[in-house]
Amino acid sequence: MSSREPHDDDRGDRGDRDDFGDSDAFGDLEAELFALGDALDVPAPPPADVAAAVRARLAATPASRVTRTPGTWRRRRWAVVAAVVLAVAALTAATPQGRAAVAQILRYAGIELRLGGAPTTGTTTPGGPTPTSLPGERAVTLAEARAMVRFPVRTPAALGAPDTVTVADGGRVVSMLWPGGLRLDQFDGTISPYLWKQLGPPFPEQVHARGIDALWIGGAHPLGYIKREDGTSVPLRQAAPTLIWENGGVGHRLEGAGDKDRAARIAASLR
Amino acid sequence: MDDDEAIARSLAGDLTAYEALVARYSALAHRTAAMLGAADEAEDVVQEAFVKAYRALASFRRGSPFRPWLLRIVANETHNLTRSRGRRNGLAARLGAVADPVAPDDPEGAAVAGDRRARLLEAVRALPDGERDAVVCRYFLQLSEAETAEVLGRPVGTVKSSTHRGLARLREEVGGELA
Repeated sequence: MSSREPHDDDRGDRGDRDDFGDSDAFGDLEAELFALGDALDVPAPPPADVAAAVRARLAATPASRVTRTPGTWRRRRWAVVAAVVLAVAALTAATPQGRAAVAQILRYAGIELRLGGAPTTGTTTPGGPTPTSLPGERAVTLAEARAMVRFPVRTPAALGAPDTVTVADGGRVVSMLWPGGLRLDQFDGTISPYLWKQLGPPFPEQVHARGIDALWIGGAHPLGYIKREDGTSVPLRQAAPTLIWENGGVGHRLEGAGDKDRAARIAASLR
Repeated sequence: MDDDEAIARSLAGDLTAYEALVARYSALAHRTAAMLGAADEAEDVVQEAFVKAYRALASFRRGSPFRPWLLRIVANETHNLTRSRGRRNGLAARLGAVADPVAPDDPEGAAVAGDRRARLLEAVRALPDGERDAVVCRYFLQLSEAETAEVLGRPVGTVKSSTHRGLARLREEVGGELA
């Protein structure tokens, strides 16, 4: 459900622009303002996280008045959210249910792995989904990227400077691209899944090497993202083999490194 | 589960039903708080508003729309926050990189249109508080005049005149036609 239309039956109210005696004078300006509003991006945490946090607060203090101390509360709140989300993720992983075609869902490093839906090799549709950019993705300099996101952005010492750096979705994702389809995504996505991958056999392989704990997805697979507003799954493209891991609250995915040893070597070189 | 059912179940103490209601309105509540001046504290404001709304649910008039009732609480929380810290942040939102349908094959034209859009946003930011709140509610949150009146706690007539004055000021600032 879109944030701007919680009720279909309220939509009609939007048309009451004729209330102004001189509405014609402002008709075009009003249309521009509606369009501007649609183009405005307001960052918000995933609704499910907000709902879980509110529920945790209500459950913790059924009747007493809650006092507010912003700094400490923020930390405690995220601890509560993290605990709830971890519990839900564990439950989901243990009990295959939810999406009809998917046998099991694993959540790891901010990525939802939908296992058993489609074979990892080959494509679900001819050529896979049409490649799509992340929402609001645009090219920036590395310094701009660092200023625009809330988490520390690192670069792999094993590779030269990236050709392109992009920031997407109101600062939630930083991507770096090198020639040959090598791509590193870093995202603020460990609280709730942000990207999803549809995987069939072979299943992801655990990698413990060079101080990295990661999952290696050895086949090409459909990749998409999960909309913050309503949890909708949006397909992006067919992704090449990918290493995914989490470090200091930041989710990482490295795509196009070829084999898992090289991927792990690049991952371990992040500074 | 529609709003009314979720509210009925929440009133009976069903937190899962209330959770569904929170998830449904979370994005709109954040948008409202950020655009009315809560800036980076929108998350705190929204959580507080949802907690207060739950506690005040018994006073909600069943059968009336939930959306403006909730957004009124969000707007009040935002107001409390900005008053307590003695300053008010403006409209916190940024222009996403949207493809402009006006000129898909005309980068120069798209840039001009994008520039105008940015100027319009700056002009909205610069409006006096009352006019800006009305314009934000009416056009960015797409609320009706009646809803805007409820959310801002002002008579409908005041909303009408604030919106009108705001539009006139915007027209003065950015001019008439799309360049």
